[in-house]
Amino acid sequence: MAATLTHRKIDWTGIAFAVVLTLIIVFPLLVVGTWAFTNVWRYPSVIPQEFGLRFWEQTLARADVWSSITMSLTLAFTVTALSAAICLPAAYAFARLDFPGRNLLFFSFLAGHAFPKFGLLVAIAGIFLQLNLIGTFWGVVLIQLVGTLLFMIWIPVAAFQSVDRRMEEAARDVGASPLRVFWSITLPQAGPTIAAAILLSFVGTFYETEGAWLIGAPQVRTLPVLMISFINNQPVIQYGAVLSVLLWVPSFIALLFARRVVNSGSFARGFGG
Amino acid sequence: MKRRDFMLAAGTAAGALMLPRMSFGAEGVIDVYFSSDQNVIDFWTNVVKPKFEAANAGITLNLVDGGDGAGVAAIGDRALAALASGTDPQADLFEGFDTRVTVDGIAKGLYVDFETAGLSNYSKVNPLAFDIPTNLPYRGSQVLLAYDTTKLDPANVPKTWPDLVAWIKANPGQFIYNRPNKGGSGGNFVRRAIYEVNGNDPSLFTVDNYSADKNDTMLKPAFDMLLELAPSLFDGGAYTSGNTQSLQLLGQSAVTMIPAWSDQALSAIAQGVLPETTGLVQLQDLGLPGGFTKLGVLSNGANKDAALKLADFLLTEEIQSAVLTELGGFPGVSWDYVSPELRERFADLIPQTIPNFPSGEWEAAINDGWYRAVAPNVDPAS
Amino acid sequence: MTMTTPDQIGSVTPARRRPYGLLLVATPVLLVLWLIIWPIISAIITTLWVPTPEGSAFSIETYRFFFSDGYSLSNLSITLWTTGVCAILLLVVCLPIALYLRFSNTKVAAYVQGLAIFPMFVPSIILSFAFIRVLGPNGTVDLLFNAVGLPKIRTPYLTPWGPVIGLVWDNIPLTVLILLSGLGNVSNQAIEAARDVGAGRFALLWHIILPRISNSILVAISFAVLGIFSAFTLPYILGPAAPEMMGPFMQRTFRDLYDPQTAITQAVITFGFCIVFGLFYVRSVAKNRAA
Repeated sequence: MAATLTHRKIDWTGIAFAVVLTLIIVFPLLVVGTWAFTNVWRYPSVIPQEFGLRFWEQTLARADVWSSITMSLTLAFTVTALSAAICLPAAYAFARLDFPGRNLLFFSFLAGHAFPKFGLLVAIAGIFLQLNLIGTFWGVVLIQLVGTLLFMIWIPVAAFQSVDRRMEEAARDVGASPLRVFWSITLPQAGPTIAAAILLSFVGTFYETEGAWLIGAPQVRTLPVLMISFINNQPVIQYGAVLSVLLWVPSFIALLFARRVVNSGSFARGFGG
Repeated sequence: MKRRDFMLAAGTAAGALMLPRMSFGAEGVIDVYFSSDQNVIDFWTNVVKPKFEAANAGITLNLVDGGDGAGVAAIGDRALAALASGTDPQADLFEGFDTRVTVDGIAKGLYVDFETAGLSNYSKVNPLAFDIPTNLPYRGSQVLLAYDTTKLDPANVPKTWPDLVAWIKANPGQFIYNRPNKGGSGGNFVRRAIYEVNGNDPSLFTVDNYSADKNDTMLKPAFDMLLELAPSLFDGGAYTSGNTQSLQLLGQSAVTMIPAWSDQALSAIAQGVLPETTGLVQLQDLGLPGGFTKLGVLSNGANKDAALKLADFLLTEEIQSAVLTELGGFPGVSWDYVSPELRERFADLIPQTIPNFPSGEWEAAINDGWYRAVAPNVDPAS
Repeated sequence: MTMTTPDQIGSVTPARRRPYGLLLVATPVLLVLWLIIWPIISAIITTLWVPTPEGSAFSIETYRFFFSDGYSLSNLSITLWTTGVCAILLLVVCLPIALYLRFSNTKVAAYVQGLAIFPMFVPSIILSFAFIRVLGPNGTVDLLFNAVGLPKIRTPYLTPWGPVIGLVWDNIPLTVLILLSGLGNVSNQAIEAARDVGAGRFALLWHIILPRISNSILVAISFAVLGIFSAFTLPYILGPAAPEMMGPFMQRTFRDLYDPQTAITQAVITFGFCIVFGLFYVRSVAKNRAA
C-alpha cells in the first residue's frame, strides 16, 4: 500500500503549508495572545514593556463571564442538535425526492443570509414579543436556529447529491431495506460534509451576537454579547484578548481531533505526499 | 470521551433551562441599558446603585451593558415593537442614548417627555445641555487635544485653531481624527471647524434652526477647509472608525496628536493604553465642543415610575458632585447646583466656555455632508 | 425570479416524485417563511409605498435616488470589487490547502488543517484588532522591520485592501472545509486509474478532480460571497471612511441618518445582488448534475 511508502518520505509540501499558515494565521493570533498577558506594550519595543496578569484577574473575577460561558455552550449545543434534527431530513428530501415547489423552497433559505440583519431582527423581535419569547432561552434558540438553516441544508444537500448512487442501488439489489441503505451506504459517504456543516453551525451559533442580544437581553447573556461590551469602544484590548485565549485553547485541541471526522480516514493518500 | 456521560450532562443542562423562566421585567427591578464605556458602568455600580437603592427600599437596579450605541438602539427598536403590541419591553431606562435613534419612537410616544414628567430637579439642568424633551442630559464631558509630549514640546503646542491647522500642515501625517458619526472626538473636531468658518459664534446654531440652505452657507465652507487639511492628515487623509482607534494610534505613537474625550483620555492614561508622557490641551480661542450624555426613559416600561425616580435622583447634588469627583466628568445641572466648594475646586476647568453643539437636524446634515464632501476617493461632482 | 428549468438543484428520477418530501422539509421551510421571508416582504413593501400628504403611494423614488447618486454607486462598486477580489483570492489560497489535506495523512497535515480552520474561532472584532496590531501603523511588522533597520511598510489599514485581507483571512476556514468535503467525494480509484494511464498532476487536477468538485467550489464561493457582500465589522474598522462597503453604508444610513427607508432600499439592492449570485450558483449546480 501507498501508506507504508509515504510514511518514510518527508512531507515537504506539508511543511511548506505549515510554515506559511503559521505565519499568516498563528502570527496575528500570537500577537493577540501576547496582548492578553501584557500590561503595557508600546512602540517601538519588539517585546512588551510590562507583562502581567492584571486583565486576567479583572476578567476572571467577573461572575458573569463564567455564567455566560455555560449559557453560550448550552445554547450552541441545543441549537446545533435541533438544527441537525430538522435540517438533515430536509436536506435528504431536497437532494433525493421530488415534490411541488422544491426549487423555490430550496432557494428560500438564501433569504436569511443574503438579506441584511438589521430591521429583519427587529421584525422578528416584534413577533417574539407577542409570544413572550423575549428574554428567554428558547427565544434565543429559535432565532439562532433560523441562522443555521442555510448551512445545515445547502451543504448536506451537496453531500447527499454526490453520494455514489450505484452503490446504493447495488445494496438495494441485494435486498437491503431503504433505511439500511441510508445508514450503511449514504450516511458514511456524506458524513464528512455533514460534520463540516455541523461544525460551522456550532461555531456560527456560538459567536452569534445580534440575535442573542436583541432577543435575549436582559436575561440571557451569552459570552460574545459580553465580549462585545468589553471590546467595542474600549481602548483596552486586553479583555477581548483574554477571553479569546480562553476559548482558543480548547478549540484548537478539538480541531486537531476533528481531522479524524472531517477526513474520516477512509481515503488513502494520492499525490503530493 | 464517554459519549453517554456527555449526553446526560448536556441533557441535564438543557432541562434546567427549560424550567419556566420569568419573561417579564421583574417588579421593582429597573433594567438600565448602557451604551457608555466600562468606567461609567463602574460609576453606576459603585456610586449610583448603592445610593439609590439605600434611598428607595424595594427598588433595585439591573445594569445591562449594551456594548455600544447599536446595541442599545436595537433594544429601543424592540421596545417600539413592544409598544405596538402592548407587551413588556423588558427595559426601563437607556443611558447614553439619543432617543431620536429609534425611528418613529418619539412620534409614537415611546419615550417619556421630561418636560411634563414632573421631575423635581428638572429645572436645575444646564440650559446649554437641553436638546429635545425626551432626552435628559445628566453629565457632560469635553473634547481635548491629546498629544505625545516626547514628539511635541508642550511649550509649542497649538493653542488656537489657526495654530492647530498650521501645525497639522507643518507636520503631515501626524494628526488623525475619527469619522464624525462614529464617536464624539472626531465629531466635535469637525464641529469646531464649523464654528471657525462661522466667526466662532456658537449662538448661530440652535437645536431647531437647521435648514437646507444653511448647509451651503454654514457647513460647506467648513467641509472645504477640512478637505484642504486631508492631505496633511495621517496616510494622506485616513479617518479612524472611532474614538478608540484614534487613542490606539496615539498609544502606538503612529501619530502625534488626536482629538479625544477628556474622560476617555484620562482613563486610557490610567490604564496604560496611553503613556504617561501624553499631554492634554484645550484650544484657547474657542474650545473644542463638548457634549452631554443623555438618558431616555421608556413610557411603556414595567417600572416607569421607578425609572423616573431614578432619573430625578441622578440630578441631585449628591450624584452630580460625584460625577465631578468620581467620574471626572462635568455635571449635567448648572454649576449653581453643585456644592460651592467643588465649584471652587474646578474653577479652572469650568466648561462654561466649552461650547455645546446642538444636535437636531444638524447632526444628520454634518454626518452625511462630511462623508460626501470630505472623505477621500469621492468625486463631489458625480 | 424565473425558475425556468424544472430541475435546478439536480435531477431525480420522475418515478420518485412524491409529495411526502414536503413533509420532510416542512419544519425548516415554515421557520424561514415565518421569520425571514415574511419580514423581508413587508420591508420591501415599505420601500415601495412612500408616505405622501394624501396617504401612501406607490413609488420607486428611493431606488431611482440610489442609482442616480454617485456616492451610493461608488459604495456599490467598492463592494463588488471587494467581493470579487476576495472570491478570487480565497480560491487561490484555499484550493491548494484543501488538495493537500485531501491527499495527505501525516501529522503535519493535522496541524495544517487545525490552522486552516482556526480563524473560525476568531470573532471579527478580535481579528480587526489583530490586523491593526500586526499590519497597522507601527504594528508588529513595522516593529520587526524597524528592529533590523528596514523601512516601515505601507499599511493597508484604512485602505480598500484592509477589508480584503481581513475578509479573506476570516473566510479561509469555511472555504477550506467545503472544498475539503467536496474532495472527499473524489474516489481514489478514479485517481489511481488516471495515474495508471500516465496522467500528470495537472492533468489529474484538471480532468479528474476539478470536474468532480466544481459543485463544492460553487457552494464555497457562494457562501463566501454572501458573507462578504454584507460584511460589517471588518470593512467598518479596517476600511477607508469612503467609499464604504454596503454593510457599513446601510448601518450608517439606518442609525445615524435616521433614514430606515433608504437603508432598506440599500438592503433590497444588496439582496438583489446576492440573489443573482444565488441563482448563478443554483443554475451551475443544475448544469453540473446534468453533465
